[in-house]
Amino acid sequence: MNPNARKFLLGGLLLVGVGACTDVTLEPKSAISSTNVFNEPAAYKQFLAKLYGGLVLTGQSGPFGNSDLTTNDEGFSQYMRLYWQMQELPTEEAAIAWGDGALQELNTQTWGATNPFLTSMYYRVFFQASMVNEFLRETSDAKLASRGVSGTLATEIKQYRAEARFLRALSYWHGIDLFGDIPLVKETDPIGKVAPQQAKRADIFAYVTSELLAIRNELPPAGGAQYGRADQGAVAMLLAKLYLNAQVYTGTARYSEARAEAERVIAGSYVLDPNFRRIFSADNHTSPELVFALPQDGKKSQNYGAMTTFVHASVGGDMSAAEYGINGGWWGLRLKPQVLSWFPGNGGPTTPDKRSEHFFFQNQSVAMNELTNFQQGIAAPKFSNKTSTGAAGSDGEFVDTDYPMFRLGDAYLIYAEAVVRGGGGTRVLALDYINRLRRRAYGNNSGDITDAQMTVDFMLDERGRELLWEGTRRQDLIRYGRFTTVGVWAWKGNVVAGRVTDAKYNLFPLPASELLANPNLKQNTGY
Amino acid sequence: MFVGARRLFAAVTFGLLSAQAVHAQGTTGRITGRVLETASQGPLANVSVTLVGNSLGTYTRPDGGYLLTAVPAGAYRLRVARIGYTAKEVPVTVVAGEASTVDVTLDALAAQLAGVVTVGYGTREARDRTGVVETITERTFNTGRVISPEQLIQAKVAGVQVVDNNEPGGGLSIRIRGGTSVNASNEPLFVVDGVPLQIGGGVSAGRNPLNFLNPADIESISVLKDASATAIYGSRGANGVVIVTTKRGTLGTQVTYGTSYSNSVVAKSLQMMDAAAYKAAVQKYAPTQASKLGAASTDWLDAIQRSAAGQEHNLAVSGGKDAMRYRLSLNYLGQDGVLQGTTARRIGSSFNYSDRLFNDQFEVKTSLKASRNDDWFTPGGVLGSATSMAPTQPLRNTDGTFFQWSDPLGANNPLSDLALVQDRGSTFRTIGNFEGKYTIPRVTGLSLTARVGYDFAQSSRTTFSPATAQQDVESTRGGRFDRNNPRQVNTVFETFANYARKLEGYNSDLDVTAGYTYENSQGDYPSFFAQKLSTSLLGLNGVPGAETQGNFLDVQESRLISGFARMNYTLNDKYLLTASIRRDGSSRFGPGQQWGVFPSLAGAWRIIDESFLKDKTPLSDLKLRYSWGVNGNQAFGNYLFVSSYSTSNQQALVQFGNQYINMIRPSAVDPSIKWEQTTSNNVGVDFGLFSDRVTGTVDYYTKDTKDLIFRVAVPAGTNLSNFVTTNIGSLQNKGVEVGVNARLFEARSEGAFAWDANLNFATNTNKVVKITGAGSDAIYVGGIAGGVGNNVQVLKPGYAVNTFLVYKHQIGADGKPVTGDKADKDMYVDQNGDGNINFDDRVPFKSPQPKMIIGHTSNMSWNKVDLSLTARAYLGNYVYNNVSSNLGNFQVLNGNAPANVYAGASEFGFTKPQYWSELYVEKASFLRIDNITLGYTLNKLRSLNTVRVFGTVQNAFTSTKYTGIDPMAGVNGIDNNIYPLSRIFTAGLNIGF
Repeated sequence: MNPNARKFLLGGLLLVGVGACTDVTLEPKSAISSTNVFNEPAAYKQFLAKLYGGLVLTGQSGPFGNSDLTTNDEGFSQYMRLYWQMQELPTEEAAIAWGDGALQELNTQTWGATNPFLTSMYYRVFFQASMVNEFLRETSDAKLASRGVSGTLATEIKQYRAEARFLRALSYWHGIDLFGDIPLVKETDPIGKVAPQQAKRADIFAYVTSELLAIRNELPPAGGAQYGRADQGAVAMLLAKLYLNAQVYTGTARYSEARAEAERVIAGSYVLDPNFRRIFSADNHTSPELVFALPQDGKKSQNYGAMTTFVHASVGGDMSAAEYGINGGWWGLRLKPQVLSWFPGNGGPTTPDKRSEHFFFQNQSVAMNELTNFQQGIAAPKFSNKTSTGAAGSDGEFVDTDYPMFRLGDAYLIYAEAVVRGGGGTRVLALDYINRLRRRAYGNNSGDITDAQMTVDFMLDERGRELLWEGTRRQDLIRYGRFTTVGVWAWKGNVVAGRVTDAKYNLFPLPASELLANPNLKQNTGY
Repeated sequence: MFVGARRLFAAVTFGLLSAQAVHAQGTTGRITGRVLETASQGPLANVSVTLVGNSLGTYTRPDGGYLLTAVPAGAYRLRVARIGYTAKEVPVTVVAGEASTVDVTLDALAAQLAGVVTVGYGTREARDRTGVVETITERTFNTGRVISPEQLIQAKVAGVQVVDNNEPGGGLSIRIRGGTSVNASNEPLFVVDGVPLQIGGGVSAGRNPLNFLNPADIESISVLKDASATAIYGSRGANGVVIVTTKRGTLGTQVTYGTSYSNSVVAKSLQMMDAAAYKAAVQKYAPTQASKLGAASTDWLDAIQRSAAGQEHNLAVSGGKDAMRYRLSLNYLGQDGVLQGTTARRIGSSFNYSDRLFNDQFEVKTSLKASRNDDWFTPGGVLGSATSMAPTQPLRNTDGTFFQWSDPLGANNPLSDLALVQDRGSTFRTIGNFEGKYTIPRVTGLSLTARVGYDFAQSSRTTFSPATAQQDVESTRGGRFDRNNPRQVNTVFETFANYARKLEGYNSDLDVTAGYTYENSQGDYPSFFAQKLSTSLLGLNGVPGAETQGNFLDVQESRLISGFARMNYTLNDKYLLTASIRRDGSSRFGPGQQWGVFPSLAGAWRIIDESFLKDKTPLSDLKLRYSWGVNGNQAFGNYLFVSSYSTSNQQALVQFGNQYINMIRPSAVDPSIKWEQTTSNNVGVDFGLFSDRVTGTVDYYTKDTKDLIFRVAVPAGTNLSNFVTTNIGSLQNKGVEVGVNARLFEARSEGAFAWDANLNFATNTNKVVKITGAGSDAIYVGGIAGGVGNNVQVLKPGYAVNTFLVYKHQIGADGKPVTGDKADKDMYVDQNGDGNINFDDRVPFKSPQPKMIIGHTSNMSWNKVDLSLTARAYLGNYVYNNVSSNLGNFQVLNGNAPANVYAGASEFGFTKPQYWSELYVEKASFLRIDNITLGYTLNKLRSLNTVRVFGTVQNAFTSTKYTGIDPMAGVNGIDNNIYPLSRIFTAGLNIGF
């Protein structure tokens, strides 16, 4: 062999050994990273949309896919669907027929710490908090300055930040209402695996109220926001609800503040919708009564969350799905028998109170001997995917009906209850507000009540009639002390006739998985 | 790197060209002779004949003859080896200018043991192996209608579980010594002719991606089980390695043609109620529903099932001249499934070529394969609909249209879906490998190999549902067209040096291999959908217009760069030591976590060669082995460490006033995620008795996996979602494997009765050791049909992976579980005594993993008749019968579209679903005769060399107490409307010219 060639050959081999490529770093090409995402100014609004979207949608792909949370089912993980189920199913207002997971445990107040629905709700609360915290970190003055954000965009972002803090306050309110003492994670806490400390319910209450008071003036006046976004009306309503239940959350009643915040809502540009049914219809975005709603669109915001589920789940048996603007019933939700007695004539066809006119009796039994049989229990499809004028929503599967989170009618009821509980204000005005609601229900003044009838107990029943299936019943019953150790209705305590239950069920347990993940947490008493 | 590769090739080529001239004449001699099979005294072709400690070598011709030229004068040992035979070494002295004649006879090994095993980056003789490697050769492959290569070794190797999904060409799962992971893949690494495939076999939008390989082209499959064998594959070896070697040419032209025709029938159909039983059930449990009963008597499952035909043709031409060898093959396969609409088709070709150039110093080798697979699927939902359709409803209405429920909750008519909905996949794939091996002159025993491989796949999967399909009618979707077009290109560059020589004076043999590999994978994943089609006329073939449509693209890349080295050292031919190390760098991980080191060490002692044992006992072989090693697993998605923002699609917008806004969401990641690590230990014995008439191995192993990649709950509020994928927890597998091969009857004369048998046993116990740090002590898995989001399995420390999590029944006065129409608290055990039955009362109960797997193969021959049989048994495995739990209760009779009831429902009498009843976790031990083949061979029929006709029955017989259709029911033990198991009858003909 040519000696030079051999040298060349050996040199080549050496080069392969030594000069071989050793760089294995590959950056994702089809992904947007935190370093470049805010190069587009629209990203701030898109991130804000996520904060609202966390209450409405289940993930980044409608109707499902790329879920926000890791849960047993994406549709089940929708925020308001979980919240609603926890506020309604354990009460006398509703029962669901399905055997999904531990869903039946909610019907009967027999849940445990591994119940996946409770677990998902807990994670939803903190998903919202984490997203808001990240948004606030990414929109800090320093970050904005480093990206050269100024002018109109900077002004807009200031309002976005206030909205973000409103949404975080909303979720923490849900968190303390359902679970009691939970961690309080703010934007100043670092991201990582460091487990946060558990905060007292009362401390979070104080934090949330102070946050709301701090941002109030950075938001548009009551009724002044774009539809679907928070304004001072939404802030006042949230404060009113916090104060109304302050006795439960903190041990100290705050009815006077509740009354004052209700007054702020009432002073806004909202009016009672003359058409009660419209508030729950596919065109409820046109209702002048809504203070804060979560918009849904059958084409553009598809998911198996609250409204799509409730409209479908309320339909079954002999009902015609088309009459509710949907492609089929899911045979799920109906009334536990006790609700009927709230309405004159047991809510039947002769009742003058139109708030029960949507009840459906044909081939539905009043008695509920089986929870899992849809045709036991009167159907009550309050929400519909038809507009107030009878047109079907844009899609048969996914509804156009918005979730009416806060509405003027509730503000009237809060005002009246705060007054009768001694929170100041005037009984005359309170009675007027109640009778406005009843006149709308009766179509005339035949249902008016007198001042003497306007008792604390009456308020609970009236809230039941007016706000039936609007996701507030459990909270109301707890405020009245009638959720567990007092009060009996069908299937409470997992017997057909119902029985009283342990006071521990006033709070839901912290998820078993969370107790293991975060050793700082102490489980609620009794679980 | 390619700069480096080019330099190498330039250097090698240039070096070789100039090396030609300098060959010294006059100091060399020749070796010639014949190799025969001991028993038959027939010639053995394709036997490797090499000189120990020297790179010279050749293969025998069809007449068994061989010739080695240009052998420098001196004393040598000639090594004669062929897969399936015991290798031999014979001393030979070469005198310059003369020819030495050495004739050798080789003994066939019992059943399936191979004399030479293929290991990573080389081969090794079975007697010298220190790790646990088994090579299965063509002689003992499963036959019949074999579409996927994995099926060839089903039931053949102890500790290797091959689980079929029953669809022709459908996905197979292989578990070698149990699964080491929960979230990452548990499939072994496949290496085809030196090219490592992506875990899972690569890209296919159709069925099993390995279907590109024609089983008829495969010569041997080597299974690397312990870490000593797999550590050379580093971060991908934790689940074992399967090395596939395809057939190469032999001297002299050979043409073979094989064809077979098959017919598949449903082996066992699901037992749903017939019309009469259904009517009775409605009368008893839901009398108000009687008006919804139709008057027909329909067997819906029968309506969608069929007996399915299949055919296969294989043509191969091979040959060689001097050192050149080639083999070219063509394959056509078409097989229908027992469900209407299912078809698998393959057109494939393979070309292998090798030659030695420049005085045999440079060996070139190439393997090319190309195939197209067409997979037609039975539309999703057809099987489920046929299962749940009420038997009292007609297939068609009186006006000839398909019967459909008016309520969308009702099942759709499966015949209508079969007629209207289409789902087809198509994959074109080519894989190739070019190899050059240069034997460095003057440095005895040193060679250098460079290899460039590629794997290219272009696939498509199209589903089409016209506006008239029931699902579109119900959802007013107006027709939908979906198409995914994954394309992936993988390139591999490897170079390694091998130095093998006898250390004279030290009684030692040394064999060192060291090298470098570079693998790159690039994938494009475009997809397209259209909805509300302007016309449904074009079906799968076009979308002229649509109201809604979307186009998407995702690009993914990954890279793996490694250096590796292995040393085999043998002292006195008795004490064997193997050490290996591999350092891997992977793009799947973030900075600081990219590189990992995977070492292994193994030793063996050939006790039989000790003087105190040799020839003094019936023992003909006895070897003790021990190995230790570390492997990784990185078989999961790319970019797990990168926090990215995802943008919502057009169906997930947020409404602000009249605007609809896309949402952006940051992802929750653990930037310090790294690979899973498995440490394995193995102790084993190889033995032979009565001159290796009985041989066997016994192994005990443990595999401890740490840093398991889990998606676990993190403390709420601390990251950007509730779960983060991170390294948490550990898992253990341990087991015993026994394999015994015996020549039960030896043919003492030509044509006499002979019977070889293999029996293998394997146990594997697998348990989650801990889930630490964060998250949960119980991760719920095992989704089922019925309800939404329901799980019946759990990962829990102390329990096997995927242990079932169910309610225990109270035991009634009759000693039986309490069932029927009862409240939960009257039926189930209240484990925590809180007076309620809720999820907290579910307990871990049994696991899908078999306690023992037994495999058996028998090969018999008598004159021209041969008979083989393969059987398999699982002991102690459990399956959750999801069809029973979903449809085995009388609540399904309610609603506007009452469903059919599982025939076994009356046994428990549940009136509503009891998904978490322990009674659905059924014992699924079984014995199955997988394969019976009877063949008849005619030699020298007219001008044909050989003609063999054969008949095979696959899935001939199953004995089990499991009540569902198949006790295998998938790797995870949940049986929900799985594809029906078919019994396949095949008749075929092989001709050699």
